[in-house]
Amino acid sequence: MIGLEHYLIVSALLFSLGMMGVILRRNLIVIYMGLELMLNAANLALVAFSRFNNSMDGQVMVFFVITVAAAEVAVGLALIVALYRKRQSTEVADLTTLKL
Amino acid sequence: MESQLAQYIPVLMLGALAATFAFGTLLASAILGKTGYRSRIKDTAYECGMLPVGEGSARFSVKFYLVAMLFILFDVEVVFLYPWAVVYKDMLVEHAHLIFGSMMIFLALFLVGFIYEIKKKAFDWKS
Amino acid sequence: MNISASILEIAVVLLGVVIMLADLWTPPKYKSWLGVGSAAGLLLILAGSFFLQVNEPIQAFGGMYVLDAFALFFKRFFIVATMLVLLISVEYSKKFQSGSGEYFSLSLFALSGMMFAASANHFALLFVSLELITITFYILTSFLRHQIISLEAGIKYLILGALSSAFLLYGIALVYGATGTMQFDALRAQSANMVQSPLLLVGLLMILAGLGFKIAAFPFQIWAPDVYQGSPNSTTAFLAVGSKAAGFALLMRLLMSAVPDVALSWEPLLMGMAAITILYGNLCALPQRNLKRLLGYSSIAHAGYLMMGVAAMSLNGSGAILYYLSGYLFTVIAAFLVIILVMQHTGAEDIIQLAQLHQRAPGLAGMLALSMVSLAGIPPLAGFFGKFLLLRAVLEQASVHTAYYGLVAVAVIGVVISLVYYFGIIRTIYWEKQQLVADEIHVSPISRVVLWVCAVLMIYLGILPNRLMEAASTAVESLKF
Repeated sequence: MIGLEHYLIVSALLFSLGMMGVILRRNLIVIYMGLELMLNAANLALVAFSRFNNSMDGQVMVFFVITVAAAEVAVGLALIVALYRKRQSTEVADLTTLKL
Repeated sequence: MESQLAQYIPVLMLGALAATFAFGTLLASAILGKTGYRSRIKDTAYECGMLPVGEGSARFSVKFYLVAMLFILFDVEVVFLYPWAVVYKDMLVEHAHLIFGSMMIFLALFLVGFIYEIKKKAFDWKS
Repeated sequence: MNISASILEIAVVLLGVVIMLADLWTPPKYKSWLGVGSAAGLLLILAGSFFLQVNEPIQAFGGMYVLDAFALFFKRFFIVATMLVLLISVEYSKKFQSGSGEYFSLSLFALSGMMFAASANHFALLFVSLELITITFYILTSFLRHQIISLEAGIKYLILGALSSAFLLYGIALVYGATGTMQFDALRAQSANMVQSPLLLVGLLMILAGLGFKIAAFPFQIWAPDVYQGSPNSTTAFLAVGSKAAGFALLMRLLMSAVPDVALSWEPLLMGMAAITILYGNLCALPQRNLKRLLGYSSIAHAGYLMMGVAAMSLNGSGAILYYLSGYLFTVIAAFLVIILVMQHTGAEDIIQLAQLHQRAPGLAGMLALSMVSLAGIPPLAGFFGKFLLLRAVLEQASVHTAYYGLVAVAVIGVVISLVYYFGIIRTIYWEKQQLVADEIHVSPISRVVLWVCAVLMIYLGILPNRLMEAASTAVESLKF
């Protein structure tokens, strides 16, 4: 029988994997994929809680999260593309203009 | 106080498990990924025994990205149409103006975005 | 369903849409009038807001949205802030190679997000309004997209902002899982008897991290100096006043209305955050040579002072936050307008550029000095009275928890450290000998009006604080703490 905790474990795994991607990866696009993974981990937790709490709030929230994530991706990718055109690189190590 | 802290142990365990898994996967791929004999010939793509010609991935224009982005934005917003459609019939009895009006306002805002895109020539593929 | 409760937000969104459409048919020469037009529209909306009566909190959208005195205070604050930001961005918009019309409409959309945030009474509205602010700010920070520095600031804000939203969202999911509700009134009832629940506490900690990012409180402040330095000047001002205040509005609403019992047990945590933020901001500001970066660190320090009001967990503390934010608004806007005017032609914003400013433009020099004095908290300006109220509110709580004395001591040390760099700027303006190639400084009538308004209000709020204090204390009463 698959219970709430199984969903939560998967969701926590996804969240940690996403965060590892953000912390360890050096490419902006991959970092961005990690961030999306984290949002989706939260979505999974929301849906699971919604199912086991017998309330719809969590699922409604997921709708909003999906739309917000789409907007975030659109803006984020546009920024990354603009940076790539300027720098010919999407590596984090190249973001060094702003220093003391 | 101690019992309060003790309640955090499952959370801590979950966090530790998640972190171990994430690190473990990375570690495993680092260890397993580089073993074995590799050469340039071995790393080339296999294409029915013929030598591959050109780059593995074809380059495509950045305009596709713009179109894809616009598509996703408009596509995702449809997510709100489904729940609306489900409750439409029930709500029509008592709150007809509300249920109809809210979606019309939503779509009107969309239309504004659409007009903006057309005027900004986002759909003009030639230039 | 009570849609009319959100009439102000609807008006702002409509104004934004109208400006966005008008921009499409406006020839480039007249685009700056769109900014003036949107500021005028906001003035009308602000006037209209005084016809709203909120003796009782009005709930709308199934309890998601609440209009009470607290929300109304913040809405007016945000409208005034955006109005001033729009006016200074009219001055700055010559630097944008294209899209100044979009800059104005995006600012208005960010404003609508802030206004919804002030009324958020449900996690869904909290999340969506916060994201509306953040995503618009990603664009506003990287608006000078032909300059690598602005793009870099935008990307840094984007990555760290998205990371903090992910934490916020996961926290919301955990709190929802623990309590089964997302509505703040229901949450208040639920959370009262589950202060011990680890799921709830971990979730709330993650939400605190997400909101801490918005207000740039330690340890979520790393983005602030880079983004403040790289962004267009008008965006930096907007970040410092608008986005930060929205974070505080949400934080106060969440901690005091939704989960007061948990918040009370978090006093040491909040005190620690406030103290470290104050010290970090002030110490890091000391060696800075770039004016915008310095103001970035100083805004971290101010976030720390404001966090003291949250940590005090009292009505007086919350009222002091509202007062402090209002004073900070006029001070920061004045400072950034002077920066825009003086450094229009030079690319860099080094403090040394201000040398001999009092000979080139005595009015602007006096204005910048005035705002630095107010930021440092010297009587009789608004900045002083705000700090005084915050410290008094913290001292009142010292009978509950002796650690509050320590917090007061840290705050005083912070103020003393900050005197060094604020007076460093004033010294450069008046006594720096080094001569630079001086550009002619042209002050447009709009800027002149904004500067006068800011100066008068800075002094007025410092000398006659009663009216605003009354408004602030009625506003915080609706937090039901």
